[in-house]
Amino acid sequence: MIMWTPAEDIKKSENGATNKSNVRRRRTGVYKMEAAEGVVFQNNRFLSSLTIGKRKISEEILPPGSPGIFRPKPTTCEHLTFSGYARAAKQSFGNLLSRKMATSTSQTSVPWPNTKDDYELGKVIGVGATAVVHGALCKPRNEKCAIKRINLEKWNTSMDELLKEIQAMSSCNHENVVTYYTSFVVREELWLVLKLLEGGSLLDIIKHKTRASNCKHGVFDEATIATVLKEVLKGLEYFHSNGQIHRDIKAGNILLGEDGTVQIADFGVSAWLATGRDVSREKVRHTFVGTPCWMAPEVMEQDHGYDFKADIWSFGITAIEMASGTAPYHKYPPMKVLMLTLQNDPPNLDTGAEEKDQYKAYGKTFRKMITDCLQKEPSKRPTAAELLKHPFFKKAKDKKYLQSTLVAIGPSLETRVEKAKKRQPGASGRLHRKETGEWVWSSEDEAEGACADDSSDSDDGAKPMNTLASADDSPSGSDREEGADDGPPPVNLVLRMRNAKRELNDIRFEFAVGKDSAEGIATELVGAGLVDGKDITAITVNLQKLIDQRDRQKIVTFQLNSPLNSSEVPDDKALIGYAQISIMD
Amino acid sequence: MPLFGKSQKGPADVVKALKEAVNSLEKGDKKAEKAQEDVSKNLVLIKNMLYGTSDAEPQADIIVAQLAQELYNSNLLLLLIQNLNRIDFEGKKDVAQVFNNILRRQIGTRSPTVEYICTKSEILFTLMTGYEHQEIALNCGTMLRECARYEALAKIMLYSDDFYNFFRYVEVSTFDIASDAFSTFKELLTRHKLLCADFLEMNYDKVFTHYQRLLNSENYVTRRQSLKLLGELLLDRHNFTVMTRYISNPDNLKLMMNMLKERSRNIQFEAFHVFKVFVANPNKPKPILDILLRNQEKLVEFLVRFHTDRAEDEQFNDEKAYLIRQIRELKPIPGH
Repeated sequence: MIMWTPAEDIKKSENGATNKSNVRRRRTGVYKMEAAEGVVFQNNRFLSSLTIGKRKISEEILPPGSPGIFRPKPTTCEHLTFSGYARAAKQSFGNLLSRKMATSTSQTSVPWPNTKDDYELGKVIGVGATAVVHGALCKPRNEKCAIKRINLEKWNTSMDELLKEIQAMSSCNHENVVTYYTSFVVREELWLVLKLLEGGSLLDIIKHKTRASNCKHGVFDEATIATVLKEVLKGLEYFHSNGQIHRDIKAGNILLGEDGTVQIADFGVSAWLATGRDVSREKVRHTFVGTPCWMAPEVMEQDHGYDFKADIWSFGITAIEMASGTAPYHKYPPMKVLMLTLQNDPPNLDTGAEEKDQYKAYGKTFRKMITDCLQKEPSKRPTAAELLKHPFFKKAKDKKYLQSTLVAIGPSLETRVEKAKKRQPGASGRLHRKETGEWVWSSEDEAEGACADDSSDSDDGAKPMNTLASADDSPSGSDREEGADDGPPPVNLVLRMRNAKRELNDIRFEFAVGKDSAEGIATELVGAGLVDGKDITAITVNLQKLIDQRDRQKIVTFQLNSPLNSSEVPDDKALIGYAQISIMD
Repeated sequence: MPLFGKSQKGPADVVKALKEAVNSLEKGDKKAEKAQEDVSKNLVLIKNMLYGTSDAEPQADIIVAQLAQELYNSNLLLLLIQNLNRIDFEGKKDVAQVFNNILRRQIGTRSPTVEYICTKSEILFTLMTGYEHQEIALNCGTMLRECARYEALAKIMLYSDDFYNFFRYVEVSTFDIASDAFSTFKELLTRHKLLCADFLEMNYDKVFTHYQRLLNSENYVTRRQSLKLLGELLLDRHNFTVMTRYISNPDNLKLMMNMLKERSRNIQFEAFHVFKVFVANPNKPKPILDILLRNQEKLVEFLVRFHTDRAEDEQFNDEKAYLIRQIRELKPIPGH
């Protein structure tokens, strides 16, 4: 009487109550599809119109009239990374903001709502392995905010871990610690509503400044560094007094408000996010959290626990970063960084220098402060409270000063939009397989610090220290010009496969022979959410095969690993359980 | 004591001052701001007595004992919890820290605060209702979980009507509150094995009727978490009786078979760990056997293809292979 085939069969024979829940659930299902469309649309819109690095990836749906997918959304879908933070937010909310000013006193009474519909998602301002950050508007409060969307299906760490991080965030109430408003579940995503800081991250500003001016002898003056770091220390002091460890202090996690406010962001959530761990390895590897270049030796060693002094080490590295533009061992791959950190004497300001006296502009007090933080023996490092008393921080000035030295020189609108075009979730960086076997996502920015990036995304201009551009502060778009446009034209390819909803998609991309690797492209496709992670090997192998034999063979069809629904039968003609890559030209 | 050197107040004075301040905060009279300040200040004083500061060690046992006694006599713990929403942000955290420290206090094998709270169960119920107020939910959660570590207190909570409110709390829209409530809920149902087993046996119908709603929740996190906990409960040998009862009900099997096919891989995986218990049961009741037999082929086919990428998870693969074998070999009960 009861057959198992479709889930509904069982439900039908059940009592009324369950039927009701079934209906409820089904409605959620429809809901899910709507949102997925939004995402597909954004990808598509972006991918079909913009070039990432030198490679163009575009996705088209087959047949063109597929139902529903292209329902245009009126929202703007340009993707900005953190650097686009400020202007994006200002642009979208300009009018509303001025209204907000007028009403800001009375609006504290409206609590932050927990429904998706109360927020208007704006541009993407940050991307991680399992999360995307949007600028957003909270409609009932008429207030802008940042929304971090974490995909819980891809979240392989336990929920408890996630909860711990969010509780850490919500138990903080300090000017220098990012403000958490609320969080709620939207289908399979967790949405974290946070304060929006328009100035972007300190790393964005460092990168912009090194591009726009000659920073060979240092990025910021000591007063700026002292001012920022003093705020960071106040945040850290609060944090530690709360019994919390941040575990991922670095310029990329220090955010700036337009008024010069400095806040520590990403409470380890980012650290967890940064390591996109393989599900099946989850049990084996509970490896380190943090980014190798900023990581304290005792965290790397992992034989015994570590405490809040680990943050002091990272703080010291961040101080070097603010002066030289990068972490000391940024040129090396992660494993090498681990070795260097463990075996060598602690790094200092001159570790990454290419010339003697390159950083002579920085004085003894600053250097001493760095040395204090970077002591291998954690107990010898000062606490945040002790550091605040360090003479170096007497040089600190106020928020206004930061407004003029940091916020004002931040990336201009043009540069930000320009950069945004080059970046996109899943394409702004790439997954790397670390020597430890882990897959690690590195954004373009992180890649410079954490990984020797051998990819083709080298259009980023020279490394900051080598940039000998004119020293004026005017943002130039020309410094991003690519010097490597010679060589054979890239091969145009199409990957045809079904998406999770089993609609046939064409994903177009280019392959620059000699520069791209099949694995790199496959991981990028996965990172962009276009391809299931389980199919990465199949795609890599077959893409490589096709490229190797491109003179003789123009098309290859191959089996995928991602599981089919039980009702589906693999079929290489209909591309069920199979995919196809073909050369276009 | 450079920081508080001048106010060498003893426990009795601090408790008295704090109580007065909380009272005046409660009344909300003109001096509210002053009262707020006094509450914070005295809470910090008490906290420092218990935990010490970077400059000072915690107070000697005798002082702490005195402090605890004052707290009991003045009924201040309850008063603080009742007025928690009126206390400022850092003060709320201090209350939780003070409460938890006092709760953990031991004299030999005795836990005097636990004994005290047993006679003042209102404290527990006030903490439980804390989940209904966003601004204090997490603070109350911290204290509740500390309470739940003590069997006597866990028992009071489990056997109260208020316990069933958790089924509502774990599903509230604010994620951190719902998750916090869930961890307390889980603690109550798993921490003290014998107590929990007895409770589940005695209240099987009521608990599992409520539990069913969690498994069918619209909230993905609730569904995923509650399914995982269900698996843990059923696989705990202490809950053998409960498990037997659960896996005898064909409706439960149907639910799990449906969840095996959920869209979410995580939910599929958790469902697998409940489903396996039905199959592994050597004494399957007829209705269960009937369902499995009816779907024998399809189940085998399904399981063969189920999460094939978990190649490294040996235990999972062994279990899967075992289930496939079991289902293949299923035979109708002779004589039917």
